[in-house]
Amino acid sequence: MMQGPESKSERGFRWALPSLSILLLIILMQLPYRISFLDNLLPFLPMAAVYYWGIFKPNLVPVSAVFVLGLLQDILSGGPLGMMALLLILVRLFVIQQGRRFLEREFLFSWLVFVIVSLVFGLATWAISSIYIREAQYILDALGQSMLTIAFFPVIVWGLGLLRLMLVAEKR
Amino acid sequence: MKELKHRFSSGFFIVLALALLIFGSNNTSLVNAARGQVTDFFVPILSVASRPLQAVDDFIGWTQQVAIVFSENKRLLAENAQLKQAQIMSSQLAIDNQRLKRLLNVGEGQVNIIAAARVVSDSESPFFKSVLINRGTDDGVLKGQAVINEDGIIGRIINTGSSSSRVLLATDMNSHIPIKLASSGINMILEGDNSPYPKLGFLPIGEEIAVGDLILTSGYGMVFPPDLPVGQVLEITEEGIKIKLSTKLYNLNYVSIVGYEIIRSPVSRPVSRMGDHSPKGKK
Repeated sequence: MMQGPESKSERGFRWALPSLSILLLIILMQLPYRISFLDNLLPFLPMAAVYYWGIFKPNLVPVSAVFVLGLLQDILSGGPLGMMALLLILVRLFVIQQGRRFLEREFLFSWLVFVIVSLVFGLATWAISSIYIREAQYILDALGQSMLTIAFFPVIVWGLGLLRLMLVAEKR
Repeated sequence: MKELKHRFSSGFFIVLALALLIFGSNNTSLVNAARGQVTDFFVPILSVASRPLQAVDDFIGWTQQVAIVFSENKRLLAENAQLKQAQIMSSQLAIDNQRLKRLLNVGEGQVNIIAAARVVSDSESPFFKSVLINRGTDDGVLKGQAVINEDGIIGRIINTGSSSSRVLLATDMNSHIPIKLASSGINMILEGDNSPYPKLGFLPIGEEIAVGDLILTSGYGMVFPPDLPVGQVLEITEEGIKIKLSTKLYNLNYVSIVGYEIIRSPVSRPVSRMGDHSPKGKK
């Protein structure tokens, strides 16, 4: 694998950028937006970032970092402790299992796979939350969040792409 | 070898997350304390990060106010004239009320405003309705205290850190607030169901209720002081009675944390006077 030489050349402050970008998205997701329809529909942007870094720089966002970031999201959002940690790790694991195949394909293909990942992710949050509360919740809310995440995916890819360029520039 | 190591570490963290999910839900004090410490650390960051949003919100509010300033002024003048008349009547009623309460030995509830706080974070999840505020145990905030604003009730404190607290909103599935119908005084429970409109529980059979009826807190449960505005009946269907809250829970800014206790004058407490001997004697 090509992880060895990469991680050596990327030492310094910038190796933390991918994890920091996920942290930033987590904080962004927690801010009070004061818009009534957004109340139920905030997208899973940190998940999109985990998916992105899982494809391009998996060694810079290790599973321990994903765990800590997921746990932080659980604590800040007041949800079940461990839910996001578990789901984000599973997203990362799925991407890495498929990783090299993703890299060779186009953006559209990666988006298409993301559609499925995002819908399954939404369903999983719905299922875990329903079990946690011990009452079946309204499933369309979670799917709405998934849809919005899918719509935001190109923006995330663009933003994190700029960040990745910085990493590549550093490497050279 | 690396593949194996990666799989092992992924498996380890998956098991760890599952364990947290299963055992953390018991809400042990350890988990709550850890949550409090993390929120304490992040609340200042969230507070700074939410400032631009508030500035945008303030600006939108300002432009709206400017747009309606003339019509609003006219309406307020008319309302002011009405209120002046109502004020005279209410002061007479207040004197009457006080006199009758003295006659009946009614214990007066004392409401203490413990702290004013700013909402810095909103869970914005469809399944968990809570917000973080920037006041904690250092400011006297305790678990279980009521949170209100100028429009009415918001929720209650469910977790505290030293400088941050989590407020469970009235719309959350786990929120149950004792309320009453303003017109008839029937006691009921406001039950959150994760929708923006919580429902009414325990309406006695035969009691009548209509759309638009005013709902107030009953003061039972000693969390919310009585007679705070809760909302109005929005719709009555076979599934239940939905309430439109008087506060906009998606648009919270500053809130007050209040403590409530019944204080009776010593004369109006014959039961405790009888029991006074034993503890004093022991001391």
